[in-house]
Amino acid sequence: MKTEELIKNIVKAQENIELQLGLERAVVNFSNAVAKVLDRFPDLVKLAEYVRIVKEKVLTDLDYYIDQTIKNVNATGAYAYFTNDRGSLLKIIDDIVGEERKLIIKAKSMVTEEIMLREYLSEKGHEVYETDLGELLIQIAEEKPMHTIAPAIHLTKERAAQLLRKLGLPVNREMKHEELVLHVRKFLREKFIKADIGISGANAIAADSGTVFLIHNEGNISNVVTLPPVHIVITGVEKIMPTFKDAIYQVMVQSAYAGLYPPTYVNIISGPSSTADIEYHRVYGAHGAKEVYVILFNGGRIDALNNPVLREQLYCIRCGRCQIACPIWGLCGNIWGGRVYGGPMGIGWTAIIEGIENAIPLSWFCLLCDACREVCPVKINIPRIVRFLRTKT
Amino acid sequence: MSAVKDILDIIQETTMKRGAPIPLPIDVVTGWVKDLHIPKGGDTVLYTGQLYQIVPYINRYVRRIESVSTAELKLAKVAGKFLDISMFIGKPSQEEVERQHSIIRNIAKLLMKSGVRFGYLYEDDAYSGVLLHDLGLEDVFVNHARKIYHEFKKYNVKNVITIDPHTTNVLRKVYPEYIENFDLDVTSYIEILAEKEFNNVGSVSKNVVIHDSCIYARSENIIEQPRKLLSRIGITVFEPLRNKALTFCCGGPIEVLFPELSRKVAETRIKELRVIGKEIVVACPICYANLSRVAQKDIEIKDLSYYLTLGLVGEDNED
Repeated sequence: MKTEELIKNIVKAQENIELQLGLERAVVNFSNAVAKVLDRFPDLVKLAEYVRIVKEKVLTDLDYYIDQTIKNVNATGAYAYFTNDRGSLLKIIDDIVGEERKLIIKAKSMVTEEIMLREYLSEKGHEVYETDLGELLIQIAEEKPMHTIAPAIHLTKERAAQLLRKLGLPVNREMKHEELVLHVRKFLREKFIKADIGISGANAIAADSGTVFLIHNEGNISNVVTLPPVHIVITGVEKIMPTFKDAIYQVMVQSAYAGLYPPTYVNIISGPSSTADIEYHRVYGAHGAKEVYVILFNGGRIDALNNPVLREQLYCIRCGRCQIACPIWGLCGNIWGGRVYGGPMGIGWTAIIEGIENAIPLSWFCLLCDACREVCPVKINIPRIVRFLRTKT
Repeated sequence: MSAVKDILDIIQETTMKRGAPIPLPIDVVTGWVKDLHIPKGGDTVLYTGQLYQIVPYINRYVRRIESVSTAELKLAKVAGKFLDISMFIGKPSQEEVERQHSIIRNIAKLLMKSGVRFGYLYEDDAYSGVLLHDLGLEDVFVNHARKIYHEFKKYNVKNVITIDPHTTNVLRKVYPEYIENFDLDVTSYIEILAEKEFNNVGSVSKNVVIHDSCIYARSENIIEQPRKLLSRIGITVFEPLRNKALTFCCGGPIEVLFPELSRKVAETRIKELRVIGKEIVVACPICYANLSRVAQKDIEIKDLSYYLTLGLVGEDNED
């Protein structure tokens, strides 16, 4: 996007009263939530420092950790892949999903936004549903997520009801929040049961055990990863942590700095479900997924390792706290962003996944006030990324 | 990128040719000294980096930018190459210039009162180049920084006293990254005063809301010093929701490129500050300018040095 176009969109965002109200509320609620968590569990700050050190270690030796992850995912009985780009990733997905029309349910995942997976599968004729409520609203609205954790913060209850009606849900503008949620629950329950395939990202993945970690509050992800016979995990290579323990630490830190600690649910998945309760004969596909696929995605990340300034963005655990602290993000949300990622973290991520050229215009809106770096759990020097991009103008 | 690029070009050209993004008349730079009898040069010098003095011009520049079209900007760009950028901007009022002068005078008097001996570089009190660094004009910045450093060396300066956060930070943290064997000792006047004992401390019974500068608070760890100084003279300091290392930007740094967005950020901040109180203390000329731009009439924004002068200098404040 050009600077002029960005300016126009950002100016327009100032007149969008719903967005302004949503952002204002999000900033207050999110900041208070994180402050409370860190006040109650002060050790998490130390844990965040530890996570940064571990991430540095992983990125210094990424090839090794990718190999380890693949080896150990395979050892769990799941199938591991590594892909460089969107094209090869979609080919793997095609092979798993097949030609026949499938019912596919999704957990919210930013990597799948990067590759526009939902749109791709829908075009192929599959029936695809996001199961995170915010992301489902984004799907119906055909918009982009406005925040990493809270994608639909800019939509009012009335707008949400209007969108859900498009799905055929018997809801109206006058209904309470609780009623809307109940209708979505009923609607998705049926999809969970009938779905052929569940697709999720990963909040972390342990190299030593091949285990995938997912945190959530809605309970949707537990259903996505266990009810359909097939579960596909797609995640960026930067989500690899050396050990099971380190991966747990990372998801603890992520949920804390998103103000959602303790997380209501943590799914820990090491391969397909199985039972050996009849004559100690191992049968795959007991109550959970019968087949599990784990796809590690490069998508520009490995190239970014060679850039001493940009590589720091790969430490990002996507808590979204930098967005909440940023004065500019508070005025326009992810409208100040690339195709997928917005706000302070969105500058570096856009450079990584869409190229430096596309991130330069974003850099010009930064105040260099350093608030993002201050609140970042892993202390990413985002202002330095901004300065780097500005020198490339 | 054309509008951004145009502005960058103007700033780059002007700084290369004239030493500052907006070249100031010499009396605007040094006029604050008047009868203070500050010697020229010395081991320790007060360095303004021209930031306080340039603010009235930036204000005018922003008002101009807000009202001009890109075509006019292009014209100004061409003009900037041959003429004086100040012609495009015009002159700020004498009152505005004097207001900035009185702040610097207050700071100088505070330092004198505290027993610090210092000199001044007068016509060589040059712009620090901080804007070049912030705008990614690295090559021009590095050349500029070397020149400024060389000036300090020419006068055998060892200690530099800075008076604003941006100049403090660029000298103390950024120059050493680019200049080999950088050995100037850079200290903000706030840090110096906080370490001093004062006789005859007056009591100023006032309640003020403190707005931390992003740079002082987050990059220079100047957080407790202004609070300590204010409370020493009897001022009760009230804290806004976002304060200290979590302070919220005034919006100033992007006013040159996006005045409207900059204004919105300032409005957000003022809204948060005025809930706590109507009298606001700042320690940065950029914060002062941008917050003042949007402050309602019942809000009073003052530089830290104003209050300190009331309590510590014990003579008529010039503001």
